[in-house]
Amino acid sequence: NIDPESLLPKLPSPDELKPFPTTCAAIFRGQEGRVRSVSIDPRGLFVASGGDDGYVRIWELLTGRQLWNAKLSDEDAVDAVRWRPGKDSAILAAAAGETIYLIVPFAILSPDVEQSSRELLDAGWGYAASKPSTTNGLPAKEPAARWSRPGQRLEEKGILVQATVRSSVKVIHWHRRGDYFATVSPRGQSSAVAIHTLSKHLTQLPFRRLKGLAQSAQFHPSKPIFFVATKNSIRSYDLAKQELVKILQPGAKWISSFDVHPGGDNLIVGTYDKRLLWHDLDLSTKPYKTLRYHQQAIRAVAFHHGGLPLFADASDDGSLQIFHGKVVGDLMENATIVPLKVLRGHQVKSRLGVMDVVWHPREPWCVSAGADGTCRLWC
Amino acid sequence: ELKLEMDAEEVVDLIKALFAESEHRRKAISEIRRTSMTRRVDLSRLVNNLLHTEKPIPFEFLVNGQFLRTSIDDFLTQNGISAESTLNVEYTRALLPPLHVSSFEHDDWVSAVDVLTESSPAGVWSNGVQSGQERILSASYDGLLRVWNLSGDVLATSTAPNNGGRITSLKTAKWLSDKKIAAAGLDNVVRVYKYDDDARSITPSLELYNHNWGVEDIAVHGPSNRILSASADTTISLFSSTSKDSPAAPEKLLPTSTTASNKRQRLSRPDKTVPARGALSTLSGHSSPVSSVIFKPDDATVAYSASHDHTLRTWDLPTSKCVDTRTTGHSLLSLTALPKLNLLATGTSARHITLIDPRASATQIAVMTLRGHTNAVVSLDTNPTSEYGLVSGSHDGTARIWDVRSVRPAVSVGEGQVGESVYVIERQGVEKARSHGERVKVFGVRWEREVGIVSAGEDKRVQVNRQ
Ligand SMILES: [Mg+2]
Repeated sequence: NIDPESLLPKLPSPDELKPFPTTCAAIFRGQEGRVRSVSIDPRGLFVASGGDDGYVRIWELLTGRQLWNAKLSDEDAVDAVRWRPGKDSAILAAAAGETIYLIVPFAILSPDVEQSSRELLDAGWGYAASKPSTTNGLPAKEPAARWSRPGQRLEEKGILVQATVRSSVKVIHWHRRGDYFATVSPRGQSSAVAIHTLSKHLTQLPFRRLKGLAQSAQFHPSKPIFFVATKNSIRSYDLAKQELVKILQPGAKWISSFDVHPGGDNLIVGTYDKRLLWHDLDLSTKPYKTLRYHQQAIRAVAFHHGGLPLFADASDDGSLQIFHGKVVGDLMENATIVPLKVLRGHQVKSRLGVMDVVWHPREPWCVSAGADGTCRLWC
Repeated sequence: ELKLEMDAEEVVDLIKALFAESEHRRKAISEIRRTSMTRRVDLSRLVNNLLHTEKPIPFEFLVNGQFLRTSIDDFLTQNGISAESTLNVEYTRALLPPLHVSSFEHDDWVSAVDVLTESSPAGVWSNGVQSGQERILSASYDGLLRVWNLSGDVLATSTAPNNGGRITSLKTAKWLSDKKIAAAGLDNVVRVYKYDDDARSITPSLELYNHNWGVEDIAVHGPSNRILSASADTTISLFSSTSKDSPAAPEKLLPTSTTASNKRQRLSRPDKTVPARGALSTLSGHSSPVSSVIFKPDDATVAYSASHDHTLRTWDLPTSKCVDTRTTGHSLLSLTALPKLNLLATGTSARHITLIDPRASATQIAVMTLRGHTNAVVSLDTNPTSEYGLVSGSHDGTARIWDVRSVRPAVSVGEGQVGESVYVIERQGVEKARSHGERVKVFGVRWEREVGIVSAGEDKRVQVNRQ
């Protein structure tokens, strides 16, 4: 007689899986209303945040010191902030309402970094005028986005370029090489997902008809594949062949967010119906693991993209959960997933808790954005 | 609280180990047996009697180089020492609790402090500083340097530089001599200032350009006019503090180098032009921001650096070569040397201090690990009166005093012996800070004989504590 328990693979204990974040190391205070989005710069020095007060702010990571801010909008919240990849320049993208702003925060940059960043933004001026923009190969009645200068008040602060799309932008995602970024406007219907080319100030709408309400979108970390999440499913498209590759069915009522593992073969999905799902793209269109640890909706999920086997989610119950997630290159072996730590500290305000979570580019540290008006560094 | 609870016979054994047979010792031992004294203060008084000290000195007791904090029996059990072994017993002056002396209010977060006293490095390089003329230098996120006397009067304040609309927040400042200051921060420039105590002025005299991200720390060596700077750009620069010894500044780093920046600089108040120069050399090798740099205490041709890339490196300055790399498990945020023990102490993001012997072959990662802080350890200095002593400043809102002889055996592999802090210095008026240290993070700490422990932080204060 064999005890069935003994046949189950033994999971390592959290103690053997250090390092991972365990404590709050800094609180970033000074914002009015909810913080909607956070991003850590590629060097791991600064945190950018955006929220309901219409400001985009930049903070010193380890101390929580606010270094820079600018008000982007009087009416709209800043719903997304994302640093452009690459260490030779420093460009921050932020979205408020229908407008995406591209920012060179020169106050914290050396003249040479400011210059190289300005050149990247300036390269596209005039391109759109010389070539009419197209939608799906057809001449457009209306351009997918209007690229323009934001005006003197913003330009004096380093907010140098704006692109205005047709509907409110909720998600920004940069391609790893920094020339393309995708945005998602859930209520934008045929213009819900846009891909923007920085060097050409060009916006394209790759999906004429999208089945369902778009929630999020991401480039594959190494292949020309693009993922789009709608309320119930995640589709992957081959950008080179212009064809649908796969439809993932997490079995969720409403997807809030997803992230692709740096290896490209695994994906985590967070849902408003409190679930965290792990998909192995090699296995099936159904989730490999379903994790139910939260009392309320999950708003954000994130893999560590700097070589550590970690991922995190952020929930309206006010907590973040840290997991070990080890992906093995072997097709025969499945990922090891171990819950490591619940991080508490954010207060729940009007039933909203933690709105976003991002990892440090190298260290086992993450930063969260809260409906309580704070960001927090966890080390 | 220094604990020591022993039975009378254990105290007798200690006295026998410490003092040769004499009439005094005989009397002392019979006294112990009569009164059954058991506490450290009793034993300390007894040693004072035996030494015929005029003013009583508080003593502590060391067995085999470690502080005795328990009964001798417990000590032997904890350290796995057989009762038959011979013990090496010493007494030493006890570290007293550091009491709050004063706090100097600033307008903004204070990132660093340095002191100018007779025994401080800059005091020694300047042929001494008279008693009563001690000065405290503070650097702030408001971009200003301030010089204070010990009564808390601001004697001089620098002006913020005109740097083309860049942030001016300072992160580090050091006395080069009694008349010269070096400072740097988030605008990437290392500045040398002339300090005039009579005119009460701090005037920039030289701007040093080589970094393109913020400067986290500098080290100075007065006799050779050398400055080392550690930057988030992953490099360390070696500068001269005199303009005539320095090469031209790299053009692309000057605020006037680009159209946009040049325009902003001319729009702001016209400044007296300060000479701009470049570095003598650049030390490249770290792969992440460099948090701290020091000269080797007895040899200014060697430097040590600590980085977020988890490594501690040794540099040969004449050749600009990295000659040794020690890899630890964590981001390193601070660094100081314990020269008599041939150890370097480095503070980590993982809330501890690691002691590393830079000479030993790289078999042992850590000689010792000092635990107690509950957040990043971002500043370190040595005890001016004990080669075994350290002070640390942390984002947990405390400074802690350590004696490396106050240790217990390691729990996990690779961390060496584990030490605990002797005293905890809270921010004045803050009973118990939360570990995230909101509003009370300590950023800088210095310890000098004439002034005591000077610490600076997010509470916008420089705080002085003395024993
Ligand atoms: Mg697999």
